[in-house]
Amino acid sequence: MLLLTPILLVPLSAALLCLLVPSRRVMAALGVLAFATTLGLGIALLHEVLARGVVREWSEFLSADALSAWMVLLISVVSLATSLYAGRYFERDMAAGVITMGRVREFFVLTPLFGTGMFLVVLANNLGVMWAAVEGTALSSVLLVALYNRRNSLEAAWKYVILGSLGLALALLGTVFVYAAACKSHPDSLPSFNWSYLMSVARQLDPLQLKLAFVFVFVGYGTKAGFAPMHTWLPDAHSEAPSPTSAMLSGVSLKIALYALLRFHILTTACLDGGPDAGFSGHLLLGFGLFSMLLAPSFILVQRNLKRMLAYSSLEHMGLICTGIALNSPLTIFGALLHMGYHALTKPVLFFAAGNIHQTFHSLEFRVIGPGVGKVLPVTVVLMGLAALSAVGLPPFGLFFSELTIISGGLAAHQITVSVIILVALLASFCGILQQLTRILLGARKPGNHPTDARRMDGVPAMALLLGSLLLFSVWLPAPLLELMHQAAAIIGGKP
Amino acid sequence: MNLDPLNFLGQTLALLLLAPLLSGCIKNWKAKLQNRRGPRPWQVYFDIAKFLRKDMVISEHASWVFSFAPYVVFLTALLAGLMVPMISAPAPLRLFGGVLAVVGLLALGRFFLALGGLDPASTFGGMGSSREMTISAIAEPAMMLAIFTVAITAGSTDLSQIAQSTQSATWKLLNPAHVLAFAALFVVLLAETGRIPVDNPATHLELTMIHEAMLLEYSGRYLAFMEWGASIKQLVLMTLLVNVFFPLGLAGPQASVAALGISLAAYLAKLLALSAVVVVVETTNAKMRLFRVPDLLSTAFVLAALALLSTFLFQ
Amino acid sequence: MHPPTTLEISSQVIPLMATLMLVVQLLLIAQRMLLTSIRLFAIQSLLLAGIAAVVAYYYNAGHVYVVAVLTIVGKVIFLPWLLNRLVHRIQIHQDTEPLLNAPTSMLICAALTLLGYSVTRPFTSLEKLGNNTLAIALALLLTGFFLMINRRKALTQVLALLTVENGVMLAAVALTTYGMPLVVELGIFFDVMVAVMVLGILVYRIRENFDSMDTGKLDQLKG
Repeated sequence: MLLLTPILLVPLSAALLCLLVPSRRVMAALGVLAFATTLGLGIALLHEVLARGVVREWSEFLSADALSAWMVLLISVVSLATSLYAGRYFERDMAAGVITMGRVREFFVLTPLFGTGMFLVVLANNLGVMWAAVEGTALSSVLLVALYNRRNSLEAAWKYVILGSLGLALALLGTVFVYAAACKSHPDSLPSFNWSYLMSVARQLDPLQLKLAFVFVFVGYGTKAGFAPMHTWLPDAHSEAPSPTSAMLSGVSLKIALYALLRFHILTTACLDGGPDAGFSGHLLLGFGLFSMLLAPSFILVQRNLKRMLAYSSLEHMGLICTGIALNSPLTIFGALLHMGYHALTKPVLFFAAGNIHQTFHSLEFRVIGPGVGKVLPVTVVLMGLAALSAVGLPPFGLFFSELTIISGGLAAHQITVSVIILVALLASFCGILQQLTRILLGARKPGNHPTDARRMDGVPAMALLLGSLLLFSVWLPAPLLELMHQAAAIIGGKP
Repeated sequence: MNLDPLNFLGQTLALLLLAPLLSGCIKNWKAKLQNRRGPRPWQVYFDIAKFLRKDMVISEHASWVFSFAPYVVFLTALLAGLMVPMISAPAPLRLFGGVLAVVGLLALGRFFLALGGLDPASTFGGMGSSREMTISAIAEPAMMLAIFTVAITAGSTDLSQIAQSTQSATWKLLNPAHVLAFAALFVVLLAETGRIPVDNPATHLELTMIHEAMLLEYSGRYLAFMEWGASIKQLVLMTLLVNVFFPLGLAGPQASVAALGISLAAYLAKLLALSAVVVVVETTNAKMRLFRVPDLLSTAFVLAALALLSTFLFQ
Repeated sequence: MHPPTTLEISSQVIPLMATLMLVVQLLLIAQRMLLTSIRLFAIQSLLLAGIAAVVAYYYNAGHVYVVAVLTIVGKVIFLPWLLNRLVHRIQIHQDTEPLLNAPTSMLICAALTLLGYSVTRPFTSLEKLGNNTLAIALALLLTGFFLMINRRKALTQVLALLTVENGVMLAAVALTTYGMPLVVELGIFFDVMVAVMVLGILVYRIRENFDSMDTGKLDQLKG
């Protein structure tokens, strides 16, 4: 029974149908339906992967191992929540006259396309097709960022598309180098560009060429994953996009770029294994991951815009995930995967709440929102507060456990300096985010600053769904899921 | 120093007689391309003869430099021409330094041309000289780099040697270094001979003239030698371009009369082809503003630099 | 698939065309008129297609012909047409003063080319064509980056991106004898087309909103 193909086709058909459907409600419903289906398919895929190891279709064109299955689940969950939230969000925007029906239709066509692109990235076996899919997600998300057609949105979209395309051009060069290395060790005919094939011949590839390729791929996909110092597009794009899109961008698209980078990291490590620079790719990941983690808190502390602050928080979390993977011990890699999952459940809630605040106060600036948002939107603030506590890594939320796992794994692997740096960075962002948020969420309203059209229950279903799952999975990880993550960690660690 | 008297005499005569004809041809073709009838190609001979007969009017501020300059311009161009292989590979004159001597002689000529423009203290002359120096400041390095490129590929700075080595492997014509050096030298040719888009040889408007400005004070015999010298320099540069980069048909040292004949025919054909290209470039482009000329010449310089790089890297 | 007999000719023609691509890139850097810049890009893509065709002919690799045809259809015909239409719609035909004037830009590009050559020195053995077209590909990449930084008009930045893409495709042709699998080439082709269309939409919207294509005006989002 075909499993991978429907995962790709369902959102694609939803996108195409949304071109024709007249009503906004139907479009929103289509989106929810499509991603709920992919979630179901993803769970089925999980069981298949646990049973068979790797699921392949179309003579290995599509291939799903444990890592891919894990990413499929993440994408489905975040996209589903986004689609749930987007319906009410755009209804309100259209009522306020901020956006036209044409643009709303654009959103509902592009978002499933965005989702399809992301699914193709994780399911494609061919590294060139993976690149094309990443570029596809970049292009669809650019138009989403520019949706509101304001000056700031266009500026953010322009920076995003230029930096993203440049990065992807470099990533393409790196991919070409990898393929050339494969050609060199296979001079007679066209070798396969499939990742699974390249992994099997990894030892025969030229180490120097792979190192050069990895550098290009790292800069390229790293730009898309938001590593500092190539992150400058990130706060702009994530803050100027409509909140549903910001949730998807922060929630999964950064992780998709990291996934692409990871495939190359695994390949390079397999090739250099046992040689003098076996840890080459790991060291690069570690360096830039730590740099991102240290850079983010300093920007968080001086932020005056809510969504920009959340974007910098994503930068930090991505840095932590990257560092966890770079430390290359089974415990830290598992912690990093766990962190990916919990972050994907947490960050969208924050962005949805920010979206509510934006629509109520018509601004995201702290001085306009002012203190005491809790008085105006109590339910939103409660949910946002819980998500914020999760995002800074407080128990009983999952991010606490994943951070603990990474740090203790680092200490166990005798990487004391790195673990201390991680702790310092996490502490700094903890202080930063809590300080900023308590300032605006709590307290009394300033006189004369009462918005009139606060809608208290907006977006609550989506947020509650995510937070509920977060709490549930923080305390109980079902055995198949745990097993899947262990397998995925093993793949990243190079022992599939 | 080989001084084969026949070769020497023949080349001198060729230079003296062919140069004005070439200038005339270019003027005629330019006119034809612009839908005019244009002067006869051999009109330049009559012009030079006319100038030689006429009286001179010399400014009272002029010094010996003014009188000396035309002869220097004429002789340096002629000497440089004798060092470039025209019809047979070993050129009649082989001074120490080969191609560097050619560049140096032409530079000497330009130096005195500029001095001659400054000497009579006329404003137009001074302006022309300063503009000429600006252009040559960038054009010279480009020319030298381009010539060094070919010299390095051939392994010698002797022009005859260069021409012969390029001749031996015909496919080397497509060598990227050669193509780039040719492109750079072509731009330098336009700059050195004062053609559009760098300078307009047919104008006497203050805003637009460079070479003509330096010649403005000259009349009579001096003007004849200046004009003749300029056309010889043009011929020398064109010969350099065609015979060093496309030495097809160039006769060797001990060639028979038939080979010399073929060489002459090939040489004339190549020269006419290059003139045609120059005419087309002149007609299709407008003269550039003086501030834009360094842009063009720096492009030529970078092309020449790339050519030099390519010799090291495409080995 | 056997090595060609007239290797010498191919080993001259290919670096020649690659060098001409670099020359066109330099001309692009000095060029101010937008329509001429688009034409230069078309010429550069034509040279790339030519290189692919020569490689296909001499190495008897059939599907590299497909690459050549795709390049001609996409980058020589379709994209310049699209960009020309965009220029006419937004009614801006000339670029603003670049950050660095033309002679300085030229010198920097010469330095970048030198950098590209020296970086790829250790990798000359990897090339299938046996010539330093990889160095030229890297030089195209670096000069494309420089072009993007030096210019402020959005459309020129799009062209710079496309020349970087050309450089990457040149590297692909130089390094892999028989090209990349067809599905990858098609994927890249469609991605580039769609990317330019998206960029075109953005450029048009920027023009409408800011009344100019000057990306120097996009400076509100900081920190």
